[in-house]
This record gives sequence, structure tokens and C-alpha cells, in this order.
Amino acid sequence: MPTLSDIKRRIVSIQSTQKITSAMKMVSAAKLRRAQEAIEAARPYAQRMRETLEEVGGGETNHPLFEQREEKARVEVVVITSDRGLAGAYNGQIIKATEAFVAERRTGATKVSLTIVGKKAADYFKGPRGIEVSSARPVGPNVNYLEAKQVAGGLISRFESGEVDEVVIIHNEFVSAIAQNAKIVPLLPFVPPVAGDDAEEGTEAQAPYEIEPNPERLLTSLVPKAVEVELFRALLENQAGEHAARMTAMENATKNTEELIEKLTLEYNRARQAAITSELVEIITGAQALE
Amino acid sequence: MPLDLIVVTPQGEAFAETVEQVVLPGSEGDFGVLESHEKFLTALKPGPVEIILPDGSSEWAAISDGFAEVSGSQVVVLVDECFKAHEIDLEHAQHTRAEAERELAELLAQSASEEARVEVETTLVRASAMIEAHGRHHG
Repeated sequence: MPTLSDIKRRIVSIQSTQKITSAMKMVSAAKLRRAQEAIEAARPYAQRMRETLEEVGGGETNHPLFEQREEKARVEVVVITSDRGLAGAYNGQIIKATEAFVAERRTGATKVSLTIVGKKAADYFKGPRGIEVSSARPVGPNVNYLEAKQVAGGLISRFESGEVDEVVIIHNEFVSAIAQNAKIVPLLPFVPPVAGDDAEEGTEAQAPYEIEPNPERLLTSLVPKAVEVELFRALLENQAGEHAARMTAMENATKNTEELIEKLTLEYNRARQAAITSELVEIITGAQALE
Repeated sequence: MPLDLIVVTPQGEAFAETVEQVVLPGSEGDFGVLESHEKFLTALKPGPVEIILPDGSSEWAAISDGFAEVSGSQVVVLVDECFKAHEIDLEHAQHTRAEAERELAELLAQSASEEARVEVETTLVRASAMIEAHGRHHG
């Protein structure tokens, strides 16, 4: 039977845990809002980029980054997780999806290697997992475009040189604040958007653009940018998803501490009552003995 | 007279205003856009941009490489980054440029990988564009 002071100590300790988890929840909520704003801010750029690409690339299919290779000697997987834990199953599901993907794609002639963004995946795959890691970097506190550009640039040059034949991204898709799903997105070879899917009536009748220097040259600089944007979007979604997952995890943790404190308080009160009762019994029996 | 200039970066819309004229650093040379310019699509190189406002005053900004799409009375500029002249920290830009120049000289001396060189060159061009935009704005 724990003593009164034992129970009291446990209650105090759980209360301080509760303070931490509820503070973390609030911080995550604020960061989530900012991350969502960043996603919103990036949307017009991605949208216009796609429109421009449709304009220039319509019908053009011989760009080096569009090349579908029959034989795939090496598949590169960009794995995106968070840097920190305490976010529920957020990173676990990415790692699981990655392992499943690697197991599926790694056959006789095909090698699979990983480009990791995020310390959690980096730590996991650093161990003896039998999966080659070509590079690993942290996500950092704030996603910025230049970083996405750097990673994309490396992948593009490896694709162009023929070292890598296919690139896919595995990241958490930000569905909502309570749902993030692991998603596999093909990055290279790049699939050009097809004009006409969402083209409004009458747009085709418009005069074509004068393109300078010429469509081929413009496409050469446009396509890598579209790849960068795709990677940037994945990083932004990862950022929002991480904060959302942590917010949910911390909310649950806070709820659990509340339940635990309630249970312990009950136990504490029972123990106190038992102590009082036994004291009373002692006094009464003592008094009776004197009569 | 009215020409809508919209500068979009991955961080959001950097500029959206009605202007008189805009001069952009195209890959084939600088070009100015007035209203009812013919439909036109071009690559941009990093450099200063001159924006002439309806009241005749001009404003400068530095952009990274990207694209410009001109159609009728609208100019859409898609770039990685855009800094308005008054937001530019001149000292920081000069420091960055000096640093990048030194690094580039080092890389060239030891014939480093192309990737590393391109990265430093990008930083250099970016800092130079910022300094130039700042200089034009205040000069």
C-alpha cells in the first residue's frame, strides 16, 4: 500500500508532465497554422508554373527529364520525415512505407538507394538495414525554397547523367489536421502536365505566345523548376503534417495525464480517509479501555 | 496605361500592383513592357528590375532567375526570390558577395566539382543583383 506522500509525489510529477504536453500542443498548433499558410502561399506559384509549362511544353516530349527508361538499374527514393519525434506514428508510417517500397522494387537488376530529408529517417536507416543511403540531411526549422532547389538539383544531375533512372518521393500527405497519409509520388522522369484537362472554353482560340529564346531552351530551364516546386511542395506538406501529428499526439497525452491524475487523486483521498478512520478507531478503543 | 504586374515566388505573392512600365532582365537582354505588349514568354536571368509607378517614380527590386509571361495588360513574373530595394541589407549583400568571390577563386584553383561551383556562382550572382538594385534605388 503506497503511503500518502508517495501518491502525492506521483500526482505532482504527472502534473508537470501535463504542463509540458499541453505547452507542446499549443506550440504545435501555432506552428501548424504557419505551415498551412506557407502551403497556401506556395500554391499560386505552383499553379502558374504548371500553366506556363502547359503553354510551352504542349506536345514537346523529348526533354531529357521526360525520358522513360525501359531498364531501371537504380531507383532513388527521397524519404521525407521530421527531425524530431513525439509526433505519434508520423515518422513510423513513412519508414514502414519506405521499407515496403524498397522490398517491392529491389529485384535482381534494380538497386534502390535513399536520399533522406529529416533526422528521424536518417537515424533509422543509418543502422544496418541493408539499404543504401546516398545522402541525408535534416529538414531544419523552416522549409525554404533554396534547400528544395539544392536537393532537386542533385537529383536532376544524377538523372541526367544516367546514374539514376527513376526518382520517387515518399512523404506524408497533409490531408487534414488529424489525417496524414504516407504517399508515394513519382518525381523523375517528369510527367509534363497535359493542357486541356482543366482548360477553360475559348482559351485555345487565343493567340499563341511569342517565346524567347525558343521553346526548347525555355523548357530546359522550366522543367527543373517544376521538379523543384514538386519537391518544395512535399517538404511543405511534411512540415505541416509534422506539426499536426504532434498536436494530436500531445492532445492525447494531455488527456491521458488528466485521467491519471483523477485516478491518483481518488486513491489519495481513499488513503487519507483510511488513515483518519484508523486513527479514530485507535482513539475510541483507547477511550473504551479507560472506562 | 494600366499594366498589372504580379511577381509570384514560392513564398507567396511578392508584388501585385498596377504600374506604368516594367523593365526586366530577360535571358536575351533587358526588355521593357508597356501596356498592350504582344503576348510574350521568356526566361529571366538574375538581376535588377525597374518598376515605373503610375506617378512616374520608379522602384527597384532584385530577382533571381525565372520566367515572365506577358499577356495584354498583365505581366506575371515567376521567380525563386524577389527583394525590393528598400528591403535589401546592403552590408550583408556586399559581405556575401565578397565571401562568394573568394570561395569561387578557391574552387577554381582546386578544380572542384561543377556542382559546388554552380552553387557559389548562384550566390554570387544573387548578391550582385541585390547590390545593383540597391545602388540604382539610392543613386
